[in-house]
Amino acid sequence: MSTNGTPTSNGKYALDLQDVHCYYGSFRAVKGVNLKLQEKKITAFIGPSGCGKSTVLRSLNRMNDLIPGGRVEGRILFRGKNLYDPDVDPVEVRRRIGMVFQKPNPFPKSIYDNIAWGAKINGFKGNMKELVEQSLRSAALWEEVKDKLDQSGLGLSGGQQQRLCIARAIATQPEIILMDEPCSALDPIATLKIEDLMRELVKNYTIVIVTHNMQQAARASDYTAYYLMDKSDRAGELVEYGETDQLFTNPKDKRTEDYITGRFG
Amino acid sequence: MAVGASSRPEVTSQTDVDIKTQLRKHPRVGETLIETFLFVCGAVSILTTIGIVFVLAKESLLFFTSGGVSLTEFFTGTVWQPAIGKFGIWALMNATFMVTTIAMVVALPLGLAVAIYLSEYASLRVRSILKPVLEVLAGIPTVVYGYFALTLMTPVLREIFGDDVVQIYNTAAAGIVVGILILPLVSSMAEDALSAVPDSLRQAAFGLGATKLETATRIVLPAATSGIAAAFIVAISRAIGETMIVAIAAGAGPNFTFNPFNAAETMTGHIVRISGGDLSYDSIDYNSIFAIGLVLFCITLVLNIISRYVVAHFREEYE
Amino acid sequence: MSQETQPSDIGQYPEGDNLKHFIENRKRGGLVWRVSFQIATILAILALIALLYNIINGAFGYVAIQNKVDPNSLVLAMEENQMLSSSGTVSSEDDNELVDGIEGNPNAIGFFGYAYYNDNRDKLKAISVDGQAPSRETAESGDYPLARPLFIYSAADVMRENPAIGAFVDYYLTNVNSVIEEVGYFPISDDLLNEATTAWSAAAGEQADALQAYTANPAEVSDHDISISGSSTVYPLTRQLAIQFRRAGFQGGLDLQQTGTTAGFRAFCEDMTTGISNASRPINRAEIEACESNKRTPVEFRVGTDALAVVVSSENTFLENVTKDELRQIFTSAETWSEVNPDWPNEPIERFIPGADSGTLDFFAETVFDRQLEALTEPELIEILKANLSTGLLRRFDAEAPLVERSQPELVDLVLERVVEQQVVQSWELTESIFDRAEIEETVAAIPQGELQWRSWLTPAFLVTPQSSTPELAGIRTALFGTLWVIAITILVALPVGVGAAIYLEEYAIMVANPTLRRINAIIQTNINNLAGVPSIIYGILGLAIFVRAIEPITSGMLFGVSDPTTANGRTIISASLTLALLILPLIIINAQEAIRAVPNSLRQAGMGLGATRWQTIWSHVLPSAIPGILTGNILAMSRAIGETAPLVVIGASTFITVDPTGPFSKFTVLPIQIYQWTSRPQAEFRNIAAAAIIVLLILLLTLNASAVLLRNRYSRRLS
Ligand SMILES: Nc1ncnc2c1ncn2[C@@H]1O[C@H](COP(=O)(O)OP(=O)(O)OP(=O)(O)O)[C@@H](O)[C@H]1O
Ligand SMILES: [Mg+2]
Repeated sequence: MSTNGTPTSNGKYALDLQDVHCYYGSFRAVKGVNLKLQEKKITAFIGPSGCGKSTVLRSLNRMNDLIPGGRVEGRILFRGKNLYDPDVDPVEVRRRIGMVFQKPNPFPKSIYDNIAWGAKINGFKGNMKELVEQSLRSAALWEEVKDKLDQSGLGLSGGQQQRLCIARAIATQPEIILMDEPCSALDPIATLKIEDLMRELVKNYTIVIVTHNMQQAARASDYTAYYLMDKSDRAGELVEYGETDQLFTNPKDKRTEDYITGRFG
Repeated sequence: MAVGASSRPEVTSQTDVDIKTQLRKHPRVGETLIETFLFVCGAVSILTTIGIVFVLAKESLLFFTSGGVSLTEFFTGTVWQPAIGKFGIWALMNATFMVTTIAMVVALPLGLAVAIYLSEYASLRVRSILKPVLEVLAGIPTVVYGYFALTLMTPVLREIFGDDVVQIYNTAAAGIVVGILILPLVSSMAEDALSAVPDSLRQAAFGLGATKLETATRIVLPAATSGIAAAFIVAISRAIGETMIVAIAAGAGPNFTFNPFNAAETMTGHIVRISGGDLSYDSIDYNSIFAIGLVLFCITLVLNIISRYVVAHFREEYE
Repeated sequence: MSQETQPSDIGQYPEGDNLKHFIENRKRGGLVWRVSFQIATILAILALIALLYNIINGAFGYVAIQNKVDPNSLVLAMEENQMLSSSGTVSSEDDNELVDGIEGNPNAIGFFGYAYYNDNRDKLKAISVDGQAPSRETAESGDYPLARPLFIYSAADVMRENPAIGAFVDYYLTNVNSVIEEVGYFPISDDLLNEATTAWSAAAGEQADALQAYTANPAEVSDHDISISGSSTVYPLTRQLAIQFRRAGFQGGLDLQQTGTTAGFRAFCEDMTTGISNASRPINRAEIEACESNKRTPVEFRVGTDALAVVVSSENTFLENVTKDELRQIFTSAETWSEVNPDWPNEPIERFIPGADSGTLDFFAETVFDRQLEALTEPELIEILKANLSTGLLRRFDAEAPLVERSQPELVDLVLERVVEQQVVQSWELTESIFDRAEIEETVAAIPQGELQWRSWLTPAFLVTPQSSTPELAGIRTALFGTLWVIAITILVALPVGVGAAIYLEEYAIMVANPTLRRINAIIQTNINNLAGVPSIIYGILGLAIFVRAIEPITSGMLFGVSDPTTANGRTIISASLTLALLILPLIIINAQEAIRAVPNSLRQAGMGLGATRWQTIWSHVLPSAIPGILTGNILAMSRAIGETAPLVVIGASTFITVDPTGPFSKFTVLPIQIYQWTSRPQAEFRNIAAAAIIVLLILLLTLNASAVLLRNRYSRRLS
């Protein structure tokens, strides 16, 4: 079995990465990633710092376009369409593939507006109040904020802010949610809440999460992809990808084993 | 210490006495003198302010007590004709506000648009060209802008609207050029405010599928409101205090008019014209420029204080 | 897909065609705004370009120059003088003396009116010039170079309104040929005379008969006056006829002047003070236009021909024909005949010429020499200077740079400036000069003595010449010196105080424990920020009240006995500098504070850790690292001070001052004040020099700012 590839599964694929290389200017940060992301599952990206997890994640909804010099080669198929085809509008991609960031970043607006804003700019027609409530419920935040919807989102605690950001992402009704170390700024209790929330959300969404927390990956994800930087050219590559249980108990690659058992480095 | 002293009396007591004297605080005259001198340097700024307030207040007082001009007349009158004893500040203030308004109409939208373009759209290369251009624009002395207003802007306006409509000296040309003068100020302050908005907000907006425009105008701009407001206020204060452009291009004679194509003299323009001639001390003319100066000083001071309050408020939001 | 997963009864995102429209709208909106942001930015750049363009536009372009003194007449006078003062030249107003001198002397040569030669044909020989022998025919046709036509001019309206003039012109034409030879000129042919009479009849129109009746009996028009001026050559002829006209009975006023042809036409066409104009050349187009703009159509009457004869004695065998160039040498510098032409004998030339007062000498010089001022040699130019300038002035120029050592172009410039007194009467901007050339040329053609010239108002001379009330002679020397003095003292005062304040606020104020002093420090800081926003004109008012007035004995220098107590007042360089120092103090403090703050704390700790006092640490560690930043801020403050105008106007900078400032207690002007003054003048030429001065100011500021940028770059490289 190749290091890149797809674990055996009979589910459908949400995204299909084919020989993806990511560049910052002339520097190749990630090389040759082949990966099929399972639909309505949680996939975790793990690996040492600087190996390119965030880079790959950002390439999935074309956030890399916003970095000066950022460029992606290869194909990323979404429902059979390559996201990097010239006729694809990155703005539309991001509505369907939402993102939650490492540091909670609510807008300096009211809680209500934080959620409604994304819906508004994307042309949502219908009952906005309902949408806000539903999104907040889905993000398990409704009970905590229902009485202060008109207060600033910045007034919430860190964990609440991150759930607000998740709710904000859900409101635009994406198919995939990308999360880049969403819990790294949170305490263990808030982290657990987010993990529970992910398990709940995965019923409806495909979720990709970057994490440094091995337990979190083991606990929360269905599949895991392990990246490592190739020392020769400092480009990150996908070392192993498989079902989480299998990867953690019976890694195929020596390097994966070293990493998860803490012998890395 | 006492134990140690008794066990090895000689040596220790010797050392003890020594270190006591060595470590004792002694006055360092040089250091104190220098610190005092430096404090005096700092205090010069206070003296300057006191000087300004004192001088303006004192001569204004003379103006109101000996000149036969009452405060109400001064603050409500619309005729300024020293020859017949009329001192209505509105004749001058109105022109100042006309020029300022026109300048703002030019500078605020343009300056803000330039700021948005620079901070949200322009590539690094474009920025590296544009910023110096704006800096050059900001570094040109105002008397040069005055020349520009009189020899280019006025003829252009007369060409467009007709010689019989636009007078040779007019507040429109002066106002437009004052607007150009403060455009770099507005754009650089507004850009600072926009750049201060954390990038994570932009990322969040883009992550939700917002376009560049939506991100810029509906997330970044509102987040930078107070900084931009401060820029606007400083700009207004700068326009009110601007002197040479209006002295050259706006007109030499108080005129209470709302027609931007007519000549009218601003507060600053009047001060320059009156003091440009051979001004004899203790004349009513001499005193009057202090009264005008006091009004000018108060307006700009209040505006500057407001703007700094707004900026301080803005800082609190993200730090 | 999302529809399945997310119950959508609460609303919908656009899908399908709706989505397409929605996307298009968003894109369009985005594009529109993007473009409008770009347009705004381009407008800002355009403003800068327009500003610079406007300055360049004013500083270069065509000017129309008018001479106060005609340079040709200067050349002429110089040459006549040369002729008269050459050794071996005899000049006399009495033609008989000339004839006597030439007669029988083979080495003699001279010239005088042809008529006079005619009387002495037996003793003298007239020689050909440029191959043309003098005769009535060659003179009338203009082939003979030393001949010129004689005219009188009048106008139809003039003759009809003033029958005396109409009658006199008729009388003139009828009788001219009977007196002309007596006066010394060639009579014109009958054909030309007929032409003149016809022209008169046409101009007189219906009144011709009536006027002719008056001609026969001039007494009848004695209630009208006749006023004539113009050529001095025609003058004796007209005078002769006027005398006869009076004898025939005319008793009205008869005013006859000799002013020269050009001045005559000016009186006739522009001022309309004369009814008849004598002329020794045809009227030119500009003069006709000037006449017509006054509703006068000049009518020309040819009345005779003037010719000079160049004569030698009958004994002379080697001279038959001379060229004009040979004539020039013969009558000026040459001493022997062979010097001019090797074929001629090596004998001294003996010259006999009419005196300086005669028109004959003028005419000869005009025709034969025909040289431009620019073509003269250095000694000739110096001669012109000596002839036209006061000895005092000459001595001054000689002291500046000995005249004999100056180059020819320098001397030409000096003559043009001081003797000819070239004046710019009109100026055009650069764009006009390029695109409206034809129109400009027309305008200049209409200016008497006008000349078109390309001019850069910014010249090296502009920098070193003191002020003048004539824009083309004005320079910015005094203003530059003033700016230098003012800025130097400003920096001398503001830099130490500003840096001192910054050090206090950054290094000492934080350590202060005393709550009152802490509060004072906080106030100082706020106060500095507030002062930075005070309009500069307020500082001017402060300076006026405090420096100019309250401490006048100090700022005027009276206390130190430095200045003349009668003229001294507080409006001096020191007052200006103190005012500007207060103005830029906040700027210097804020910048220096930033520079000091940027010095890493570890440096201070290292210093203090070694047992240095606070000041020792600051002096030997903090300040050296902060110096580049402080200097950068200082240069920026300096350029602000250089450009400041309003406060200096208020404290009363002198606007017109031609002596260099000599010290802190001098009166002064500065560059921006000059620009302000010149811009406010209505004459276009002052705008031109304002533009030139602006260029100087901007170059100065640009240099300063560039050095600040360089400093900043080096500084930031060192820290990283
Ligand atoms: N904006 C950028 N410009 C240039 N290079 C970048 C940029 N962002 C990341 N890189 C480089 O790309 C490589 C991968 O970075 P990336 O952020 O994807 O790593 P990561 O795996 O997410 O690390 P971490 O776990 O620390 O977040 C690194 O070598 C990094 O230096
Ligand atoms: Mg990362």
